[in-house]
Parts: sequence; structure tokens; C-alpha cells
Amino acid sequence: MDEEIKYTQTYEIIKVSGNKGRVGISKEASDKLGDICLIDLPEIGRIFKKDEEVATIESIKAASDVYNPVDGKVTAINEKLKTKPELISNDPLGNGWIYEIEILDKAQLDLLMNYSAFLKFINQAG
Amino acid sequence: MLKTNLYERHISLGAKLIEFGGWLMPLHYTNGIISEHLNTRKSSGIFDVSHMGRFMVKGKDSVIFLQKVLTNNAEALQVGESQYTLVQNEKGCVKDDAYLYYFKQNEYLLVVNASNRLKDWQYFKEQSKDLSDVILYDATDDIDMVSLQGPKSKEILLSVLKKGTLPEPLRNKLSIIYIGEVEVLVGRTGYTGEPLCFELFVDKKCSLKVWDTLISAGALPVGLGARDTLRLEANMPLYGHELSESIPVFASHLAKFAVSFSELKGDFIGRKSLLKQFDTFKKIEKKDYSGLKNLPQKQVPFELLDKGVARQGDSIYINGNIIGHVTSGTAVPYWETEGQGISSIFKSSYLLRSICIGLVSSKIWERDIVEIEVRGSRIKAIAMPYFLRNEAPPYARAITAKSLLEKETTAESLENIPLNLEILIKEAISNNHWRQNECINLIPSEMTQSKIVKLLSVFDPSGRYAEHKKIKAFYDSEVFYYQGTEFIFKVETLLKKEMANYLGCRNIEPRVISGQMANAVVFGALVDYLNMDDKKTEPRRIKRVINHHIIKGGHLSAQPMGALKDYVSMDPVTEKPAVTEFPVMQHDPYALDLEKTKEIILQYLPELIIFGRSVILYKEPIKEIKEFIREQNINCLLMYDMAHVLGLSGRFFQEPFKDGADIVTGSTHKTFFGPQRGVIASDYIEPEPGYKFWEAIENRAFPGSVSNHHLGTLIGLLAAVYEMRYFKDSYQKQIINNAKAFAQALSENGLKVAGNPKLHFTQTHQVIIEVGFKNGPEIAVRLEENNIITNFQATAEEEGFTASGAIRMGVAEMTRFGMKEDDFKELAGLMSDLILNYVNIKEKIIAFRQRFLDMQYCFEDKSFEIFLNDLIDEIKK
Repeated sequence: MDEEIKYTQTYEIIKVSGNKGRVGISKEASDKLGDICLIDLPEIGRIFKKDEEVATIESIKAASDVYNPVDGKVTAINEKLKTKPELISNDPLGNGWIYEIEILDKAQLDLLMNYSAFLKFINQAG
Repeated sequence: MLKTNLYERHISLGAKLIEFGGWLMPLHYTNGIISEHLNTRKSSGIFDVSHMGRFMVKGKDSVIFLQKVLTNNAEALQVGESQYTLVQNEKGCVKDDAYLYYFKQNEYLLVVNASNRLKDWQYFKEQSKDLSDVILYDATDDIDMVSLQGPKSKEILLSVLKKGTLPEPLRNKLSIIYIGEVEVLVGRTGYTGEPLCFELFVDKKCSLKVWDTLISAGALPVGLGARDTLRLEANMPLYGHELSESIPVFASHLAKFAVSFSELKGDFIGRKSLLKQFDTFKKIEKKDYSGLKNLPQKQVPFELLDKGVARQGDSIYINGNIIGHVTSGTAVPYWETEGQGISSIFKSSYLLRSICIGLVSSKIWERDIVEIEVRGSRIKAIAMPYFLRNEAPPYARAITAKSLLEKETTAESLENIPLNLEILIKEAISNNHWRQNECINLIPSEMTQSKIVKLLSVFDPSGRYAEHKKIKAFYDSEVFYYQGTEFIFKVETLLKKEMANYLGCRNIEPRVISGQMANAVVFGALVDYLNMDDKKTEPRRIKRVINHHIIKGGHLSAQPMGALKDYVSMDPVTEKPAVTEFPVMQHDPYALDLEKTKEIILQYLPELIIFGRSVILYKEPIKEIKEFIREQNINCLLMYDMAHVLGLSGRFFQEPFKDGADIVTGSTHKTFFGPQRGVIASDYIEPEPGYKFWEAIENRAFPGSVSNHHLGTLIGLLAAVYEMRYFKDSYQKQIINNAKAFAQALSENGLKVAGNPKLHFTQTHQVIIEVGFKNGPEIAVRLEENNIITNFQATAEEEGFTASGAIRMGVAEMTRFGMKEDDFKELAGLMSDLILNYVNIKEKIIAFRQRFLDMQYCFEDKSFEIFLNDLIDEIKK
């Protein structure tokens, strides 16, 4: 199965596998946040629209929201984060995923960026 | 944007930078805020704080200027001291908070917040205009400032120190040292709550070198992120959060240390409003809410009880009503611990908790539960007394809401009581057996009494009253308030006579039931005596006392925090008790520096000098001081607290009254043979003025301190004085020989023994070994596990008893059980094996003790066995 990682303008990532996607935050986002100390996870079964607030990450410095990258239904959450929230920044592409969704509109994936486009975007944004 | 001289270092250490107060500063380095916070608590963190403003204040009007623009009492500072202070406005609110350092004569250094530097500078310039001789100089760009905080900081500084000594182990003390060739001004100050804290001031040309040296010696760099979480966990305010031009000074719990209303300050900016706040503050602390308008809100630390992180600006509610808002908040890490009490250690894992400081209604009380609105939901939080405690150096330890809430205990139900009593009896027997038959007891303040002394102490009149007072109308006869007291009166009379004979003096007051009480009685009586002829005005306290400082082995009971508290004046300049410590020799802190002592006597003209200490290796130079005050015609009372050495009074150690002591106090159960009591002695004769002081002492004893003076142990004590008088020559000589032999042998076995080797380290029963900074508690516990009972002792360089680097021992009790020089040498060998090589010696110690079970220097031979049996039979009847 093809796996691809897509990036949002709000620094989330989605690792797509079939019609499922695992959402986390990019390394670039976690660098900005610094040490993460708490995450507020979504409920399984809930449907979120694209760009809707799904979760809140608290770092020592500040709180910041996680925005849902594409319309979808939450099918799993990463329970490990309840005791080890630092995984979000230590292993963003692996054990640091936050929740899994069933993608309801795959066409929306095309609106997201690949890594090189993302890097370009953040450099432009300064 | 401004950069400090260490900027390039921060870059090479991988710092992530932020703008702060106009400066580009490290927020954190590669490992992040949590790890930097934890490193500081367990090891040692180094911070570049050169962004802070540093103003030099010179000129003869400096003090006038500082007294006017700052809240604290600048005149209280001696060279070598610093103080936390505030810059206040007319309304009594905070323009800035600052630290005032006094390193060098006539030169004050004021450290202010980076963000307020310009504002402060302009304000100070304006305020100094009318003073003819104040020179203000902004030295921020000339001097750099580095902070070194955490338990390993002292070891690190000592390892790089080339010349000079660290400041005394008390907060706010200063000194000047050299790291390499670089002069470094050091203050025991900081913004982390760490008990081992140092802030260093270095010429900008040398700061890089000092920074690099400290990093190579093991200090770990910390950025502003962890600086903020550390100060929050220490419940310390930050300008712009807890402090501002509209928040009253006394909303901060630190104000009581930072604001002075000393007469020396005269009128100063905002004084009137501050005084109002202070009055309200004192009321609020006692739950009296009148006058609340002067101080409607105060800063309170909260810990969140549910998931969530409170941030600045979040609203705080109680019962649905808003009561204030969060001024600082985040999650902070703390080390998990294992073990209890002094054995508790940091594990390698940590937890996070969410804490904040709120500016809330002054009616909020410790442990109140509030709700904080965090991102739309209300989260429960508890008002904490503190987040951190640092009184057990070298570590600062987190106090969590969970541990605070777990403390409840329930009382036992009635039906368990007989069983509990049975357990108590069995445990008492087993403890007695352990201490008396299996342990080597080396605590110098303890003694086992002979069987006769023990038994007599539980006889009738224990349980009786025998209050009595000398009545002049009956030619000084003692009149008793109760009948049936003829026997105890006889005992007390004999006791006074025998004890007077033992000490070589005329007067004995035996009714005080502890050494601490004996001292309190003397201090109280001195105040009575000083005020004897003025019955109409408030009695004045003792003007000035010279004593041994507690960190240099002084008795607790001779300290302002102990029995001296209510009897010594406050020094109006320092705003501290008017107590001056004996200077000690630099190479041997257990020895008093006689020449310097004479200087301070002339400088301070004390009314009372207290000799005697609980860490005592040498004779006290009473004779020399007595001669000196006679020559100088100084009217000063010489008191010798012989607590530890009462049983050594005599020709082998020293004879207090022959040496010139005016008053002797003591405990009867350290080197002396008695049950636990106190005693006071003097040699005054009626009608000399001193006898009036003696009568004041008798009055302070009864009715001043005791009604019932514990009659059972009074009989035991008389028997003990008989024993002491009969056996003292052989006992005292043996003790001193044993102590010297023990010290010598410990030293030969590779342990570091304190004291002068030329005197075989000691002239008393005490032997001190130095085992390295903070190792004392661990070694004392290890000794205990091997049945050797000692106590750990902080030396003059250490920050507190938990950081102790010494073990204090005494040979008195084991001498009484018959140990001689060779036996102590054998013991020294075993102990060295245990301390240096971790050899388990428990079984050997139990076997060793079997040779020393029979008490000597008492009447326990065959001829007295019959009397022992009579005593036991009488009790059993």
C-alpha cells in the first residue's frame, strides 16, 4: 500500500494509507512549541470538518491547537500520549501520531502540500 | 537588538533564541526546557543573566538615596551582604524588583530587570538630582552576570576556585574569589529556589573564560525558558506578571522581607501607603479582613488538580464568582523520589504538574479549592502553601498537592488498645536491649544512667508536687505549698550542696528540667535584673550578646531562634537580633580567635557573652576574656553553657568558676551521670549586686518556668552526683585519654579528623570526623545499620544539617561501660573499614559490645546488689 505524508499550512501532518490517515504535527511545529507536557485528545467516532480544531497541545511555553487536515471520522487515538506526550515531538512520523481518521473526502488531500512544498511555504512565511 | 558577550557561546551550544527585554537571549539549548529545569534541581545549571541591568551607586549620599528609592533598609547591609528589595512608586505599587549587593566599601551594586532598565535609570537620575553626592553609573555593559544554581554548584565552584573563599553558607552572603586569574564577585543569591545558589559578577573581558571554565567543570547551560519554570516553582514573582505599577507591594509574599519601616530610613517614597498595606497584610495573615481595601488581592500559588495548563490571564473562580486571574502559569517537571525522610532520593524519572500563581482575593486561604477557566473549561485547583521547599540542602524538593492531601491519619479503635499496649511494651524491651546490649553509643550528648539512678528516678515522689519559695520574712526559709514533702526537700537540699561542691561554687538552682530551660531562665533573669529599678516602663532587653553561631557549633539554646529569642534586643541597623558571633580561627573553625574576639568585645560592648558549644573540642578561653574585660573595665556577664562538658568540670578539663565564669548552666545527662535535667550555678555572695541577679534566676525558675520540677529525676540526680563526686578523677581522665586515642586512631586509619593534631585533635569527650560535603547523613545511616549510633553534623561551611559533611561522636557513654584506649583503637579500625571500604561490621560490633556491658564509675558491685533488689521489690509491691 502506498504511504504518503502531506503537510498543512498550520504545520500538521497526515500520513495517508488507503482511506485512513494518521494525523500528527510536523517536526517544524514541535520545534516551535518546545517541550510538550500535555495533549487533549479527541473522542473516537466524532466527525471533524477540514480545518476544525481537534486537539490542544500544551507545551511549557504555550497552548496550541491541532487543526484537522481533511474531513474525517476519528477511528483511533494514540493512548500512549496520555502518559508520554513528549512522543509528539520526539517521533512525529512514528509513535508520535495523535489520532487516526477515516478520510471522508480524499479529494481534499490534493489541497495539502508535500514536504518540499511545505518547506517552501514556511520559508516564505518567514 | 542587544546581545550579551556570551552570545556566540549560546549559538555554539545550540540555543534557540528569543527576544527578551530588548535582548536576544537563549530560550533553551538542545535538550529543552524540561531537561534544563531538572538538571538544575539535580545537578547544576548555569545561566547567562547579563541582560539584567546593573547600576553602581557611589558617593557619600548613596545610603540616603537608596533608602529613599528602595523599600528595604540599605543601611542594614554590611560589606559582604546583599538584600532583595523593591523599587516602589508613591502609591506603594511596584516599579521594579531588584537585588542590592554590597561587595566593597562605599560601592553598592543594584541589579534590576532588563525590561525596566531604562525606566529605572531615568527615575533614579531624577530622584538623585537633589542629593549633592550620589554617583550613579550604568555598569551593565562593563560587568557580566552569570548564575550558577543547584546541588552540585558548590562542588563546581570549589573545583575551579583558585583564591579566596566562598561566601558563608547563608543566603545573601557575598565574597570575592578568583577563578583562574579572574576576580569574581559571588553572591549566595538566585532565582530558582535552590538552596545552593550563586550569582557571579565578572568583568566583561573575562566572562567568556569564566563561563567556559564552569561548563567544563560540569555546569549545564539553562535558558530563559527553564529560568521561568524554576522561578515559578519557587513561587518567586516576575515583573510584568506578579509585579506591576498597579499591584500593591504587599500582594507579594516576599514583601515582608523586602520592605523596612526602620527609623533609619526616615520618610521614603510611598511609605504611607506601604504602612497601610503592611497593617492590612498582618491582619489578613490572621484572617482579619478589616481594611481589605488597602490590599484587596494577594498572590497565591495554585496547583491544578485536573488535566489542563493554566496560563497568564485565565480567570479564577470560587463558587462561580470571579476572584482574580492567573499571573503566571505553566506545567513544570519534578523528580520522582523514593525513600522516606532524610533517605529520600531523586529517581531518574520525572513527572509534570500544572502550577500557576494567581492574583486573587486576599481572603483565599491555603488549601482552598478554586476553579480556573482554562480554554473554555473550568478546572479545579488548590491553593498551595508553596510548591517547593529548600530547607534540606543540597536539594530543593517539590511539594505536590497530592502529597499534601494524603496526610490524614485515623485514630485507633478502642478494642485495639490492650494489644497496642502489649506491642508498646515488647518494642520498648527490644529497643532497650538493642541500645544497651548490641550498639556502640557514640552520641556525645547522651549517657546511660546507672541502675540505681534509673530506679530511684521512678520512686515516689515522682508524681508529687513540691513547689517551694524562699521567704525573707522567715529568714530565707524555704516554704512549701504542699505537705508530705519533707523527703524531697532533704533530697533537693543535699543535691544543691553536692552539686555546688562538684562545680566549686556557692549557688545551685536544680529545678530547671532541661539545659534549654536553664538558659532561658538565665536570659529571662538577666532581663529582670537589668530592669530591676524601673518598674514603670517597658522592660528593655539585653543590648548585645556574643555567642557561638549555630553553624559553628553553637548551642541551639543560646541562639536567637532558641532560648535567647525573647530576651535579646533587635539591632536597629541590621533589623536582626543584636547577636554577634565569636570569630573563629580560619584554619580551625572549632577554635575561637581570641584576638579578634577582644576586638569585637571592644566594638560591641556586649552585656552577655555565652561560652560553650554543642560541637566542643577545646577548653573555652574564659580566663583570658575575664582578664581582658577587667582590664578594659567592661561590665559584661560571662556565662558558660557546659551542657556537653558538665561531667568534665575539673582539673583534667577546666574549672569554670576558677577560670572566671559568672554563671554556669548545663545538662545533667551528657558527660554527667544524671537523668535528663538542667542545672544553673553561680558563686555570688549576698549582698553583692550579683546575688540579686541570682535571686532573679531563682524566681525565673520558680514560679517563672516550672511549677512541678519533676521530683523523681531529682532523686536520681542526687544519686548521680554522688557517683560523679566519688569517681570523677578516674572517669574524667579516662574520657579525655579515650577521646584522644580514638581520634588519633581514626586519623591513622585514613579518616579526616577535625581539630588540632598537636592536641591529639580534642580536649573533650568529642571527636569529629569530616566525611565530605553532604555525605554525613548517608554515613550516619550506614553506621546505624551496623549498630554504631552517631549523629551527622553540619560544619561551618555547610548550608544546613541535611548537607552535613561531618560525623560528631563522643566517648563518654562507652567509657562508662569500661572501654579504654585500646578498645577505642579497635573500634576506630572497624569504623574505618565500614566508612571507607563499605565492609559490613554489624556482627563484629555486636560481639564487641558484649565485652562492655557492665557499667563502671558507679556503685554496682556485689555490695550494692542487695539495695538494687530492695528497690525493685519495692516497686513491684
